[in-house]
Amino acid sequence: MTDQTGVLADVRRGMIPAHIYNDRELFELERERIFGRAWIFVAHESEIAKPGDYVVRRVLEDSFIVARDEKGEIRAHFNMCLHRGMQVCRAEIGNASHFRCPYHGWSYRNDGRIVGLPFHQDAYGGEAGFKRKGQRLLPAPNLATYNGLIFISMDPDAEPLEDFLGDFRFYLDYYTKQSPSGIELRGPQRWRVKANWKIGAENFAGDMYHTPQTHTSVVEIGLFREPKAEKRKDGCTYWAGAGGGTTYKLPEGDLDERLRYVGYPQEMVDRMKHSLSEDQLKVVGDDGFMISAASAFPNLSFVHNWPRVAESDDVLPFISIRQWQPVSENETEVLSWFAVDAEAPEEFKALSYKAYLMCFGSTGMFEQDDVENWVSLTNTAAGSMARRLLLNSRMGILEDGTEVVPALTPEQFHGPGVAHTGYGEYNQRELLNRWADHLERPVSTVSTVEVGGPAAGPAAAGTAAGAAPAGAPPNAVAPTAADQVRAQA
Amino acid sequence: METHSTRSVLGAHASRLQRVGATLPFDDERHLAAHRWLVDEAWLLDAQAYSDWLALLTEDIHYVMPVRVTTALGAGFDTSPGMAHFDEDWYSLSRRVARFLTEHAWTEDPPSRLRHHLSNVRTFATEDPDHLIVDSATLLFRNRGDVHEGSLVSAGREDLLRRTPEGWKLARRTIMVDDSVMRMQNLAIFL
Ligand code: FES
Ligand SMILES: [Fe+2]
Repeated sequence: MTDQTGVLADVRRGMIPAHIYNDRELFELERERIFGRAWIFVAHESEIAKPGDYVVRRVLEDSFIVARDEKGEIRAHFNMCLHRGMQVCRAEIGNASHFRCPYHGWSYRNDGRIVGLPFHQDAYGGEAGFKRKGQRLLPAPNLATYNGLIFISMDPDAEPLEDFLGDFRFYLDYYTKQSPSGIELRGPQRWRVKANWKIGAENFAGDMYHTPQTHTSVVEIGLFREPKAEKRKDGCTYWAGAGGGTTYKLPEGDLDERLRYVGYPQEMVDRMKHSLSEDQLKVVGDDGFMISAASAFPNLSFVHNWPRVAESDDVLPFISIRQWQPVSENETEVLSWFAVDAEAPEEFKALSYKAYLMCFGSTGMFEQDDVENWVSLTNTAAGSMARRLLLNSRMGILEDGTEVVPALTPEQFHGPGVAHTGYGEYNQRELLNRWADHLERPVSTVSTVEVGGPAAGPAAAGTAAGAAPAGAPPNAVAPTAADQVRAQA
Repeated sequence: METHSTRSVLGAHASRLQRVGATLPFDDERHLAAHRWLVDEAWLLDAQAYSDWLALLTEDIHYVMPVRVTTALGAGFDTSPGMAHFDEDWYSLSRRVARFLTEHAWTEDPPSRLRHHLSNVRTFATEDPDHLIVDSATLLFRNRGDVHEGSLVSAGREDLLRRTPEGWKLARRTIMVDDSVMRMQNLAIFL
């Protein structure tokens, strides 16, 4: 494999080798060192609200059944039958107490445990040949949630999700904790675009510079009140922990006025005042910044905007959560959900959904123009000329690294991390620096799991390091999926 | 009666008229009128003559395209609950059209080449002689640029046509797309 040291060094000084947006070898490295280690969003708890509810989601090629079991616990199991490897569940969404493999009929409870194994006695001699008891579908190596967002990691030793997200959680709350009940998700709309997955993540993280140009048409038709070129630079971009985003500067007013300005009814404002922290409220009420787009490394993004939804001057806010699911170095599946506070009035929910459909998602008018850019960029990045071009991603800093506009002080911005007003590509650099950190660091070898096999003999010993204890049931009942996998290793 | 239009989040304003009886004979003048309307409409959409197209919609139009999902046989649903690609009224469709008419809708500059292939047209009467239900299949081929692969969207549609002083107009359209994951970079098109 090509030595990528030079590429990573260029990225770290804000000079981006253009081919990173369409490079097979780098994609293989991303697969192993980012998607094999980082916490990846798979679903929200509201998508599987009732016992037995499930959705099937992927992390690259790996399919997982994300389900709520009969006890209400959230589980993610690798969607592969323990017998011959057939896909156990071929639906995308549903409710089931059991999954029966269509090939030979092994069946599993929605908590992953095997319950049915046809002809167990005749075929295996019963428990003596195949220990059915305690066997379960392979759990995701690690699973954790934050505000109902379910993440999995392919690394059994992944750092805790809270640490991984770090201070970005402060900003995540604006999107996902407007009331104690949190959000409910609808969707996703899914579609595939011939674009590299990093471009969307970078764009949502901090590209406020593109709004006046790319989205001119949306402003022209009177849909959006804000993105005049001058206005965007008055907002700030912030980066904290695993993510960062953009904000808009709000007109003068107190907290209530400013939240109502973007279209929240007073009853939602009142709930936010209880649900969000003092500092979270100060960012809006005192500092006058309203969160807009954001990304959390590696491939999860958020939008919060407030368009007009009818022939009137009123605007209405919506939230979207989206994932840039890599298919290859030049193709991405976009999963775009509409999210809304579960306690919002029904009429608000409906109009917020309307706002979402008009702006983002498969038919969204903002989205339409964005994707055209990203497809075109990816296409151009494939060739040999792109290997000679270093893209300048240094907006906001001078040659010696000093900032064009100094960072906001804690008095000007009450959120954690570093925030700047003015045009800048701080966040795109932060995101790609994390990308470089991951690509540089090899992953540890993964353990294998044997399914009810015999004790490993001397011949197998060489490869058995890290394998399941011979003959032991791979899973004892354990509180979390993480512990289950650790118990096997 | 439960339909995708009644079930959708934003369809409360839509007409509830449903089909009555079997398909009209292919030589019935109502069928001929409906078929002609659809072919003319397909031509407008191919030509991206969107303001002319908008003029063919009634003010209470409901234009809905649910998100299809793969579910187990017997699950009782095959669309994503509470989510659609389009769930439009006249205002939102008029904004989409207005955007295409600006000079800055970059996604369609240069424009796509579009062809809406129309087939399987079946016409039904309703309780109201001024309304017809028309089922059809549409296959949209869209190509952009020179060497990009073209993309396809296949869908079935159910339309409610209303007779007005200016001729037949579309009052309700339900689009059942055959993809769960769309293979088109965006839906900056109409079906
Ligand atoms: S592969 Fe699943 S039962 Fe055989
Ligand atoms: Fe954009």
